[in-house]
Amino acid sequence: MATYILRRLIQAIPIMIGISIISFLIVNLTPGSPVDKFRSPRVSPETIQNLIRLYGLDQPLIIRFWSWFTHFWTFPFDKLAWGYSFTDGLAVRDKIFQRIPSTLLLMGTSLVVTIVLAIPIGILQAVKQYSWADKLITTFETVGYAMPTFWLGLILKQTFAVQLNWLPLYGQNALGKHDLPDMLMHLILPVTTLAVISVAGWSRYMRASMLEVLRQDYIRTARSKGLNGGQVIRKHALRNALIPIVTLLGLTIPSLLSGAAITETVFSWPGLGWLGVQSVIDRDYPVVLAVVMIGGTMVIIGNLLADIAYAVVDPRIHY
Amino acid sequence: MARSEGLPAGSTVRLSPADDFDEVDLVPVQTFWQLVRRRFLQNRMAVIGLVLMAILIASSIVFPIIGGDAWFKTSLVHGPKDPISLTAPMGYDNLGINIFFRLMKALQTSLIIGTFAVLIIAGIGTAVGSISGYAGGLVDNLMMRFVDIVLSLPGFFLVIMLVAFMGSGNVFVIIFAIGLTGWTTAARLVRAEFLRLREADFVQAAKALGASDRRIIVRHMIPSAMAPVVVASTLGIADSVVTEAALSFLTFGLRPPEASLGNMLTGAQDYFYRQPLWVYYPGILLILVVLAASFLGDGLRDALDPRQRIEA
Repeated sequence: MATYILRRLIQAIPIMIGISIISFLIVNLTPGSPVDKFRSPRVSPETIQNLIRLYGLDQPLIIRFWSWFTHFWTFPFDKLAWGYSFTDGLAVRDKIFQRIPSTLLLMGTSLVVTIVLAIPIGILQAVKQYSWADKLITTFETVGYAMPTFWLGLILKQTFAVQLNWLPLYGQNALGKHDLPDMLMHLILPVTTLAVISVAGWSRYMRASMLEVLRQDYIRTARSKGLNGGQVIRKHALRNALIPIVTLLGLTIPSLLSGAAITETVFSWPGLGWLGVQSVIDRDYPVVLAVVMIGGTMVIIGNLLADIAYAVVDPRIHY
Repeated sequence: MARSEGLPAGSTVRLSPADDFDEVDLVPVQTFWQLVRRRFLQNRMAVIGLVLMAILIASSIVFPIIGGDAWFKTSLVHGPKDPISLTAPMGYDNLGINIFFRLMKALQTSLIIGTFAVLIIAGIGTAVGSISGYAGGLVDNLMMRFVDIVLSLPGFFLVIMLVAFMGSGNVFVIIFAIGLTGWTTAARLVRAEFLRLREADFVQAAKALGASDRRIIVRHMIPSAMAPVVVASTLGIADSVVTEAALSFLTFGLRPPEASLGNMLTGAQDYFYRQPLWVYYPGILLILVVLAASFLGDGLRDALDPRQRIEA
């Protein structure tokens, strides 16, 4: 196992370098420059030149890449490892770390809600396959899965925040309020948006996985031994049916940190996803790069965790 | 073999008079595509998807023609308070634009963007997948590591970056961005097919006859490897249409006066209270496109799978 993890970590290095090169090239080779917004008749060309030098944009691409890439990984020790934000001059690292708790809160809550709802729903559907409940839920899942996230967010906002006026429209806290109940009220709509769509996906997986397990011989054996139905489902079927869900969980972990760009933007939730979208609009290159790199790193870590978890929960798998 | 040429499809070749009453001959022979069609038509969801998609495509062609310039023509006479009429079944928006015709134009734009993006996805995916699967070894390894890299990049964020930095509001940039970030699944599918086909007899035969690599790939292997790409592309239309709508909604994509399902939603946000239905029109249309594409794609996948049984 240890050698496997080590091997995977070594394999991740070229992928990490590839991600860095691609994102760096996209940011630097696309037309337009971060100093463009300062160009106006009132700003002298010398000032623009100074800005270009200040941002280091006059250096050759390779040198800029190398200095950015080598600095990037010193972030635990160096506050300025990710540079300064172009918009407000704050250290990018602090700007990003400041957003992480919000994203963790939002994504973590919706993940918990998803698991708590999707697994029992999937089990119910599999156990009562082709019943009216199964058919009804399947219809909801199909529609839920087809719904674009941002549209569901809008509908929820319109219904519960505007028409009914029960819940706040956007943000994490009302102005000047920092208490927990207020934040929970703000959390309800974005969490519902994310959860509806992922419950639709996850419960389908759970149903398929459970149906697969229920067909196995050992389930028939357990039943023929005279165990009651509930015990067979809980002890014999469920544990095996959860194995694919563990993989799904690993693949969802990246989003815990990188956030949900669309949902966060719809609800102005001050997380990493919204920061990413804002920084793209502002062409705040250091922040954009940091957000992409965090996203990429989390995907790699998530894949690795999924594979490790897979081996842990399923003794048939050895690496 | 030569004797069967020129006979109509479904005919059987009788080798000798003794075979005349062989019971195999009594069953009409069906070609692969006839079987696919039968399997497809037996699948209720697939047929629903096909009909729905046909209706959506037809509306996106017919109504913009009927409406002419109604989709962007503002009016001082008409407004949100106008009663609903036959010529404006969804009323007029705040600028006096006929919502129904604008919606149909937006659907047209979405479907065009979705189709072209999927063509790019299928093109790049087929090229990368076929070369990777056919060449094997180091080439395969390098190309698949590149696929891993692209897969690790945050997808939607990458699209936003490409569109924002290369010129938001440009249809070509949007198609290019969606296509360039979405080809990895198609590439993996084609590669898997190629790995399987590489050992197939007909490929070995073509090789033995001295066919060039290019000829083997283009003439022999790609046609056989297309089924999963067709399925993935059909399903991919849904993703591309939603991605475009999300881009336009976040103001990276098409901007008014251009009509897009996404930017109509952006506009509808300002009328949450007075015009609650405005959010539903583009959203329901989006859901219908996604449902049609996914039913159709799932149906095609089942129909193209030779292991699926045909119910008599």
